Amino acid sequence: MSKQIKVALIGNPNTGKTSVFNQLTGLKQKVGNYPGITVEKKEGICKLPRGVKAHILDLPGTYSLNTTSLDESVVVELLLNKNDKDFPDVAVVISDVENLKRNLLLFTQIKDLKIPVILVINMADRMSRTGISLDIALLEEKLDTKIALVSTRKGTGIDRIKELIADYKNLSISPNVDTTVIAPDYFEKLKATFPKEDQYKLWLVITQDVNFMPIEKNPITITASFATKSKSELKRLQQKETILRYQFINGILKQAYKVDINAAKGLRATLDKILTHKIFGYAIFFIILLTIFQAIYDWSSYPMDFIDESFASASEWVKDTLPPGVFTNLIAEGILAGIGGIVIFIPQIAFLFLFIALLEESGYMSRVVFLMDKLMRPFGLSGKSVVPLISGTACAIPAIMATRTIENWKERLITILVTPFTTCSARLPVYLIIIALVIPEGRFLGLSYQALTLMLLYLMGFGAAIFSAMILNKIMKIKSKTFFVMEMPNYKLPLIKNVVYTVWEKTKSFVLGAGKIILAISIILWFLGSNGFSDDFANADEIVSEQIEEQGFSEFNKTNIESSMTAYKQALQDSIGKKTYVLDPVAISDSLRLKEMALIEKATNQEIASYKLENSYMGYMGKAIEPVVRPLGYDWKIGIAVLTSFAAREVFVGTLATIYSVGSDEEDTIKNRMAAEIDPRTKKPLFNLASGISLLLFYAFAMQCMSTLAIVKRETNTWKWPAAQLVFMSLFAYIVALIAYQILK
Amino acid sequence: MSILQHILVYITVALALGYLVKKFLLPKSLFAGKKRSSKSCGDGDCGCH
Ligand SMILES: Nc1nc2c(ncn2[C@@H]2O[C@H](COP(=O)(O)OP(=O)(O)OP(=O)(O)O)[C@@H](O)[C@H]2O)c(=O)[nH]1
Ligand SMILES: [Mg+2]
Repeated sequence: MSKQIKVALIGNPNTGKTSVFNQLTGLKQKVGNYPGITVEKKEGICKLPRGVKAHILDLPGTYSLNTTSLDESVVVELLLNKNDKDFPDVAVVISDVENLKRNLLLFTQIKDLKIPVILVINMADRMSRTGISLDIALLEEKLDTKIALVSTRKGTGIDRIKELIADYKNLSISPNVDTTVIAPDYFEKLKATFPKEDQYKLWLVITQDVNFMPIEKNPITITASFATKSKSELKRLQQKETILRYQFINGILKQAYKVDINAAKGLRATLDKILTHKIFGYAIFFIILLTIFQAIYDWSSYPMDFIDESFASASEWVKDTLPPGVFTNLIAEGILAGIGGIVIFIPQIAFLFLFIALLEESGYMSRVVFLMDKLMRPFGLSGKSVVPLISGTACAIPAIMATRTIENWKERLITILVTPFTTCSARLPVYLIIIALVIPEGRFLGLSYQALTLMLLYLMGFGAAIFSAMILNKIMKIKSKTFFVMEMPNYKLPLIKNVVYTVWEKTKSFVLGAGKIILAISIILWFLGSNGFSDDFANADEIVSEQIEEQGFSEFNKTNIESSMTAYKQALQDSIGKKTYVLDPVAISDSLRLKEMALIEKATNQEIASYKLENSYMGYMGKAIEPVVRPLGYDWKIGIAVLTSFAAREVFVGTLATIYSVGSDEEDTIKNRMAAEIDPRTKKPLFNLASGISLLLFYAFAMQCMSTLAIVKRETNTWKWPAAQLVFMSLFAYIVALIAYQILK
Repeated sequence: MSILQHILVYITVALALGYLVKKFLLPKSLFAGKKRSSKSCGDGDCGCH
């Protein structure tokens, strides 16, 4: 294997590094129109001209090499450590043509490290709109580098990057700026002490004043005298360095970079003014949220019903076609029911992801972050915590990863701890089905109660997050608050390709990720539900038949048979009246008797099935947890579903679907089955307003996601925090649900 | 035929149980035989259930 050229993509946040990376490697990493999307190294391979290959590294964005947060330090650690296996042969600095000045600061720093560097000026497609003109040849000369003018949107300039990478040996490695002039004596001393090391590199190592976590393996051990020289003195010198660099950059840009001020700038400013206005801003955000939730209900109910019914008929088909036996039952009652419990939510989940993607890509999300920042400050959280909280609406896992942009460790910890309160997409299935069951369908000002309830649940999630942050803040006492500069990205028309791709990927991983767990859990639940050890289970047929003979059917079945019979008689009468049939009285009574026998058989089977279920392994387990969930208004079946959803919330519906279908002959949709469940104690529907609200609240607050716990453990490096989260959030959820049920019942 | 169905059920249940145990109870590192690619958990999307 020939040696690969190692390339690192470096640049300010939101300049399009990942977009360039995707173009070069053909991979599809996440791109989004706000800073801080990439928080980890990502690798890929790129084929260059003449059969050469490059190993491309996508890195988190960084404003300069004077890092302040964990994601930024990834870049500095890499560049300062020549022995790192990823240490680049050539650095590609990606800049955004509209923010060239600020972007070049980082460029000159890397150049001064004497690493070969190529400058990519991205977003060239926006130059005409914003009236920018560039003198590339002059820039190349003054910056002493090679430049590629690129638009990843239009796909232009990518070949130029590839050529420049292949030719990296011809790049000059002389520095741009002589940093030593900021403190000649000091640098002299440095040179005397470490004659072998590069001075600028030493300077960077010394000034790594990281207040979040120390960089562990410093490539050079520094003598204490230099490190502790005086913090404020070092800071002052650092500022001097920055000023020096900007002087250099300004000098160049004055000649090479022209902006026609008359070109569109006004639109963005006006939009920003409205969207971040202290009244209209919130109002608009509110309306957008409402529209989203309303749309989720209005648009997705048709595909959802269709899928639900298809799964019901699929189970029926399996039972009719495959040879009868336990395995056939497992497929029809366990596997199909369980999988159906997640698949029916694909339309809504896809819609949710679609809206999130649109908001992110258009640049609106950053305005929301800005709005929320103002809202959060009084509660002791800074704006940087808002990004995780908002991106948590998709999933808490990437959201917790996104906290890496927060410099202050305590603040980061608090954000990690409260982020799981945000309503993630896994809660959506539970909310949707429960709301559909217990919230009436009426409308208020064109908005359905159901959509309003859904929105309320989302707001409650945020509320709980902010509230607990406030409390944690009081307990933990953060000293230095993070200083938040949110960079407002430009508004962009969302790229259909990006949006479709994001929606597709996220939906796929949601369904597959949850699907595997649900499949496994459904199989096991089915097994536990259709097997038992007790005599009661083995002799269920006789016991139930005897019971029916002695005491008759249960209330529910009695009324059910009666009402079915009346309906049937009525239908018969009607069709005779309309002369569809001509029947003699004997035939009529025969047909009535047949109907009744069929109903009785069905009722008997159903009672046997439920008796068996109650005496199965699962029944015993359920009975064991019933006392715990009873005060919340749940029966033992819901109890089992709540328990299994501690693995992942999405499992809830699938679990119930499996439990309800074990042993039942009728194939029915999940929703109908849930609606038909009767609480044996109250004789009312099991899913009523009180128990429904109680369930909604429980799911809103409980910490039911093993994967999130694992990520929190990874990010905080101890089990202490995830354990605390699990206990506190679940306890809180229990108490709230308990209160709600006791009040409403 | 019925025996076959029973056997199939036991196999399926064992597989399901194995999957859940592997997923939630055993530490990830046990299975990271090869170097874990950068596509492991925490990809920036929800793909790590
Ligand atoms: N108009 C235009 N937009 C672009 C171009 N390249 C990228 N973008 C958009 O810029 C935004 C940021 O792109 P990313 O690739 O995520 O940027 P990044 O530098 O990786 O960002 P971080 O990982 O957050 O530091 C996205 O909305 C892209 O669609 C371009 O050439 N033209
Ligand atoms: Mg990126």
